[in-house]
Formats: sequence, C-alpha cells, structure tokens
Amino acid sequence: MDAGPLLRVDGLTKRYPGVTAVDDLTLDLPRGRIGLVGANGAGKSTMFRLLLGLAHPTEGRIEVCGIDVASDPIRVRSRLGYMPEHDCLPLDQTAADVVSTFGELSGLPARAARQRASDILDLVGLDEARFRPISGFSTGMRQRTKLAQALVGDPELVLLDEPTAGLDPTGREEMLELVARLGSFGISVLMATHLLDDVQQVCDHVVMIDAGKLVVSGGTESLLERTGVVTIDVGGNGEALVGGLARRGITATVLDGLVEATIDGDDAMDALRDIVAELELPLFRLSTRLTSLDEVFVRRSRVPT
Amino acid sequence: MDAATGHERGAVYDRGYRPYEGPRGMRGAATFALYKASMRRALGLRRAWRQKVAPFVLLGVVTVPAIVNVGIGYVTRDRLADRFQIITYRQYVGVSAALLLFVALVAPDVMCPDRRQRVLPLMFARPLIGVDYVIAKVGAIGTILFAFSFLPQLVLFIGNMLVSNSALDYFTGHLDVLWKVPSAVIVLAMYYAVIGCAIASLTDRRIVAGAGVIGLFLLTSITSGIIVGDWELKGGSAAALINVLRLPLYLRDLIFLGHIDPDSPLNGVGGGGALATATYLAVLVAGIGVLWRRYRWVER
Amino acid sequence: MTPTPEAPVAAPAADLDPAIVADATVEVDAVSVWFGPKVALSELTCSFGAGVSGLLGPNGAGKTTLMRAITGLVGVNEGGIRVHGRDPRRDRAVHGRMALVPEDEAVPAGLTARQFVRYVADLHGVTDRGAPDGALRTVELLDVADRRVDTFSKGMRQRTKIAASLVTDPDILVLDEPLNGADPVQRAHLIALFKHLGGSGKTVIVSSHVLNEVERMSERVVVLVHGRLAAAGGHRAIRDAMDDTPRHVLIRSDRGRQLASALIGLDSVTGVTFDPKRDGLVVQTLQARALAVALPRLAKDASVRLLEVRPLDDSLESLFRELVR
Repeated sequence: MDAGPLLRVDGLTKRYPGVTAVDDLTLDLPRGRIGLVGANGAGKSTMFRLLLGLAHPTEGRIEVCGIDVASDPIRVRSRLGYMPEHDCLPLDQTAADVVSTFGELSGLPARAARQRASDILDLVGLDEARFRPISGFSTGMRQRTKLAQALVGDPELVLLDEPTAGLDPTGREEMLELVARLGSFGISVLMATHLLDDVQQVCDHVVMIDAGKLVVSGGTESLLERTGVVTIDVGGNGEALVGGLARRGITATVLDGLVEATIDGDDAMDALRDIVAELELPLFRLSTRLTSLDEVFVRRSRVPT
Repeated sequence: MDAATGHERGAVYDRGYRPYEGPRGMRGAATFALYKASMRRALGLRRAWRQKVAPFVLLGVVTVPAIVNVGIGYVTRDRLADRFQIITYRQYVGVSAALLLFVALVAPDVMCPDRRQRVLPLMFARPLIGVDYVIAKVGAIGTILFAFSFLPQLVLFIGNMLVSNSALDYFTGHLDVLWKVPSAVIVLAMYYAVIGCAIASLTDRRIVAGAGVIGLFLLTSITSGIIVGDWELKGGSAAALINVLRLPLYLRDLIFLGHIDPDSPLNGVGGGGALATATYLAVLVAGIGVLWRRYRWVER
Repeated sequence: MTPTPEAPVAAPAADLDPAIVADATVEVDAVSVWFGPKVALSELTCSFGAGVSGLLGPNGAGKTTLMRAITGLVGVNEGGIRVHGRDPRRDRAVHGRMALVPEDEAVPAGLTARQFVRYVADLHGVTDRGAPDGALRTVELLDVADRRVDTFSKGMRQRTKIAASLVTDPDILVLDEPLNGADPVQRAHLIALFKHLGGSGKTVIVSSHVLNEVERMSERVVVLVHGRLAAAGGHRAIRDAMDDTPRHVLIRSDRGRQLASALIGLDSVTGVTFDPKRDGLVVQTLQARALAVALPRLAKDASVRLLEVRPLDDSLESLFRELVR
C-alpha cells in the first residue's frame, strides 16, 4: 500500500465551453504532503473533480494510487478522502453521528464506522462537543469535523480544499499541525491553498498551476534557493559594519536598517563574524536570503492580462 | 534468575492512529448505509424527540380503523348478526390524508437538506453514484410507507382472525388477502415514494417541496374532478386518470377485484384497467426520470 | 523629527500611548458595545490615522463589531467614536468619506462588475464618469468588468467589493479579510495596493488572520482579545514590551555542540536546545541584546562558523500566540 507513486497525470486537459480549466498537465507526484497552488482561474475545483472521477478529462489520463480513474472511479473514491472548502455538514446532527454515518458511506461496516469515528474525532481534537449538533459549532470545530469525515474511511490520500480558510491564527496553526501529522499516519495529502506560507510550512512537494498550465512541480526545499546575499541586523549600526566589511574587500550596503552583503564563501562568512565581533556590534540576525515560495510563484507565473 | 515477570519489558502500542484493516464495501454497502441513514432520519431516530412525533402519530392514526374494527368485532362476538365491518382490506389500502401529509413532510426532509446544506459533494466523493443515491432514498421512503400501510393491515387481519369463530377457518378462508394486501401496498408505497422524492429533488427548500407535493395532488384531483364531472350519474371518464393522487387505487382494485371498481370514476371506460396501468407506469417513469437528472453528479 | 517625504504615516508621538495616534482620523474612546448578554467590545480606547493599521484577534474578539461601529453601522452602548471629529452613526457627511468592505459574500445577483461599481458610484453621487473603470483597473478586474459578479470566484468577488469601495475615493477604508480567496499573485498586488493607499495618506484598517501578510502591509497593529485591547503599536515594539517572556533565537552553525557549551556559560542564556528539524540550536534568553553582543565573540573564539542567526519570536505569529495564550 505504501509503494508506488501517489498521482500520475499524463497530458491531462479539461475544456469547458469558453475556458480551458486544465491544459496539458503532466505530473508524477510521490507520496507525502503536496501543496497545490493556482492562479488565474487555475481550476482547482476542476482538478479535484477529475481526481475523484466526477468529471471526465477532455484528453489525457489520471492514475491515483495506481488506479486509472477513468476505468475504475469507484475504487479510486474508496481510497480518497475529500474536505471541501464550503460548508457541507448536516447541521441538525451531532458530529459523532455525522462522522460515523459517513464512515459507513465509505463502505465500513456500522460497528467499525462508529469505532473509527470515535478515534478520528479524538485525533482532530473534538471532545464532548462531538455529541452536540453541528449547528452550534464554531468555524474551527466545523473544519475539524469536515476533516474527520474525510479521514474516517482510512484513505490513502486526502484532498483538502483551503483547510485553513476562516480560521484564526491559533486555529490555523492547529489545523496545519494536524495536516502535517497525517503524513506520519501513512496518509498522503493534496492540499489546495492560496497561502504559500501554509505550503512552505507543511508540504514536502509543491505543484503550481497558472491558468490551467503547470508552472512548476518540485520538492519544497529544492524550490527555495539560496541567493548568495546575506542579510545582517546589527541594530542600527549598519554603517559601521559596512565600513568594516569594505576594509576586508566585502561589498555591502545598508537597506531598511539592515545590512546586505555579498558573501561568496566560507572564508567570507568567517570574516563577517570576526568583524562583527571586533567591532563589538550586537548580532541580532544573520541569514542567507532565501527566496520564498511567493517569489518563486510570482516570478514564474505569467503576468495576468 | 526467575522467570520473566513482565516488568522488564515494555512497549507502546497506540500512538494515535490505527489504520483500518477490516472489510470494506463498495457501492452496495454505501447504498445500504445511506438507505438506513435516510430511514433513521425519516423516523426521527437519533434526533430530537420533536422529530419523532410526526411519524409515530401518523402510525397511530392509520392504525385506528383497524383497532376500531377489531373492537367492534370483539364487542359483537356473541351477536354476529349485529357485526359490521367498518373497513375492508381493499379499502384499507387507501389514501389516507395522514399518509399523504406524511409523504409531504418526510420526503422533503430526506431529500432537500442534503442539497441545501451542500452535503451532496461529500456523498458523491464516496463509492456511491447517482443511481445508488436515488435507490437508497426512494427505498427508504418506500419502506416506511410500506410499513405504515402494512402494519395496520396486519393488525386488522390478526384481529379479525381472533374475533372470528374459528381463527383457522378465517385464515384459510382469506388466503388471497395474504398476497393481495402486500402487492397493493407495494404498488402504492413505491408510487408515492417516487413522486414525493422526485418533487423534493427539484428544490432545496423543504417547505417548497412539501407544498409542491400537496399542490400536485390537490391540483390534479380538482382538475380531474371538474372534467369528469358527476360520474355517478354520467358514467366514468378517462380523464379520471389525471388525478395523480388516486391513480394507484385503480391498480389496487385490479389486484383485489380483478377489474375496475364500479364505484370509481373510471367505471365504464373501455380498457380502463390497461389505461390505468399504463398511466401509472408513465408517472413512475417520469418521476424516476426527474430523479435521475437531478442526481447526475458526474459530468461528461 | 523630520517626516519622510513619501510616506506621511501618522507616527505615535514618543509620550503617547501606542494605542493612540497623533493626528488621528478615527478615535475610539472607552467604547463598549453589547448585544443582549454578549459583550462584544469592552471599554476600548484606541485610534487610527493615515497609513495601514492591522486589526487582529481571535474569532469572536470583537473585530467585526469594531469595524461596524467605526463605519456607523452599529451604535455604541458606552463611550464614543469620532471620525474626523464627528459621530459616524449620526453624521451622514462623514459616511461619504468612509468605506467598509465586509467579509461576507453577499453580492447583488444579476449585475456585472461594472454595473455594480457604477451603481455604488451613483449611490454616492460620484460625478467622475471614469471612476468605476478606474477602480476596476486598480483591482485588475477591468477585462472581466462585463461578466456577472455571481459567476466570479470568491477572490474576484472580494476584489469587486474593494473596487466598489474605492470608487468613492474614501479617506478611510475598513476591510475585513480583503485577501480572502485571492491567489498568490492577486494577494501580492492587493498588498501593494493597500500599502500605496496608506502611503498616500488614507487611513486603511485591515483585519486579517494571515499574520505574515498583515506584517507586510501594516506599520502598526491593534490586537483585540475578548472585546478588550490586548496590545497596540508596531509589532516588534510590542514584543519588546513583553520583556517578561523569554526570547528564542535559532543559531545554525557548523559545530553546534561546541557553540552550545560556550553559550551555556553566558549569564544571559537561560536554556539551549538542539533542534534537529531546523538543524541548529534554539537559545533561550531574557536579555536578547546581551546575547547578541556575546555571540560573535564566542563563535570567533571557538572557531565556530555561524550560518544563520534568527530570532524565532520576531514575527507577528509568535507575538499573537503569546498574547492569546
């Protein structure tokens, strides 16, 4: 069950009258936590429908967990969990009842469904609240219940659509923590989100799509590049540091109260350290400027018309 | 030195997630689960007490004639000449207003919230397709309608058996009832289940759906009544078939009597039986067609 | 104090409470608002001026109530709100200078983007015929201006509402989760837009849960918790004001253990942890400056190459966590 690629997409195209939602997409994604980021009507909901076998591709094929979606969508769906972005829970039932029923709808026998519902509700942190009707739940509790119904069938892959939407910062942190843990349970995650920060924090792999076309697909780590420019915060004494660096032949400037220096190797790093020490300046921050996923995205996606 | 007492060894067994290794059903299991869940919802099980009132009051109401009949039978057990039946089995497979209200109440409650609260995407992300969904929902309503129509009949039959001179004689003398009643009840239950669910599937608001069901029945029966006119005097008319509400009763009569009831608005219409059956099937097909379209979740 | 020419941001005067701003356009004075038994705002005093201010807080903290009170949609039970010196609830004139972009998605059905923005412009008596298109261009919706708003995605609907708020050229813009549903490219553009608006002298109040974006957009934040003012000011300054909580600094180097044993010897260090996930040391201290001065010397003496030094609680995220704990 753990072997094999998670998702294989080959020349996938989906055209609607007037718009091409997916345009010749080819992907080979490993198991783990994958972030799906899109711009310009990238058709994130179309992607989910295609993966669930609820829409037929105009061209190309999709393979989820080794199963061809076109030929056996039912079996694909039995391996998937889905957490939509919109409100989708029956409000007059209790969380325990809803999750248990959805467990049965995933094909689990009634007793097993009840058992798993209880386990999963523990996992997502819904305690006594699970016996209250969902109509009284806060956004955070509803999101957790939505995640619970996606997990109750023990899926191989969960599709999460903006799981942190509407959550306050604390709730967002808790949700991201939950999502991060899913990997350790052997559950892969495909998380669609507009927040690159969430992706950087939680996902091992990123897929970026712009107007239906693939922009980039790669490991999160590998996409973040080191630039060779080092940023230093010496608390307002930037000019002194720049002077000191210049005497050693290292170019640097002051920008927004911080010093940016071009460091070309280990020796230069050590020289920087020594100069700060000699000048007895406080070293508050030292970092090699990393591009953030934001910059990667903006740089590589096309300019919206 | 000693045999291990167990406290030298330790292990952690559960770190928070247990994968599911057991049997996993597909469409059949999911459909059955939805069927059960829908029945629970209709009967108000696992919900507040308020939701249970309607179904069980209804059950009480429709069983009343049976109980009254048995009561009469009991009271006149020694004076057979005074005994009368207030209701025959055939008549009992009738359209009681209570049953109608029940359909108008319960079918929307079982169909509309899924659409209104946008639960349908969660359902169809599972091993369940549109056909399965419809079968489960219609099946649930149909089963309840069947049960609520059949139980009183059972009470009537058993009661009659017990108050008669010889239960065994009664039984052997009424063997035909044993197949006629269930058949007729099925014909009725399926019909109203399909219509109720089909109308409810057209909207996401329960009140609108309920009004739609009642409206359809009311409108067609009034229209038919106007067109047919005074059939007792003039004779029956095929326009009686417009009355969507009464339609299955003609089939009931075919089952019980073998022909159209002379006391019905269809009396005297040539080929009345065949026409009634054809119209019945047409309505069923139309209802199923509506349901099929409304729950087609896979786009081409 | 020489004001920087391009950004007339209202700066807190040195002796003023950071919750208060000199040259304030919006003044909230000991305001309490309750709805039946629920107290939404409790004796809140703060003010807002030119520039971008972030309004933060957990769900239910009273942010929406405050925004509605400022724009006059909701009355206050105690205290008072003054916008340009007037009561926003009663004074219609000041209304025209404010715009609120709420979070809910309700958009009138059947209108195109252009029609909607034009309608709002007409409602407010905007005479400039080019204003609607100008506003739509600012939010990059000009090419879809003739499509119906109810066919738009969430992000596009939000931008339409922002355009509608801009068309009246308000002085004061109050926005609730304006970036909701926007993809990364649109987010970057909207952030730049709000910074520009703030820089040109408008009072922009943005409420958002995405803290790193609030950090990028706003110069100061106002934090509400349970209807009360929990903190206000620049977020680094707020952090500095919380001097009873220890700071954590991540230090990555080529010889962590060596550095760790040297650091333990410092008085200013209250703890050192090895963090394998971040591949470095996390040093705990109550004296951030003393640590910062000692660190380079220590590293030099031990011949340890420093690769990264990063305060972990410098962000708005960590500040928020502390405040809400």
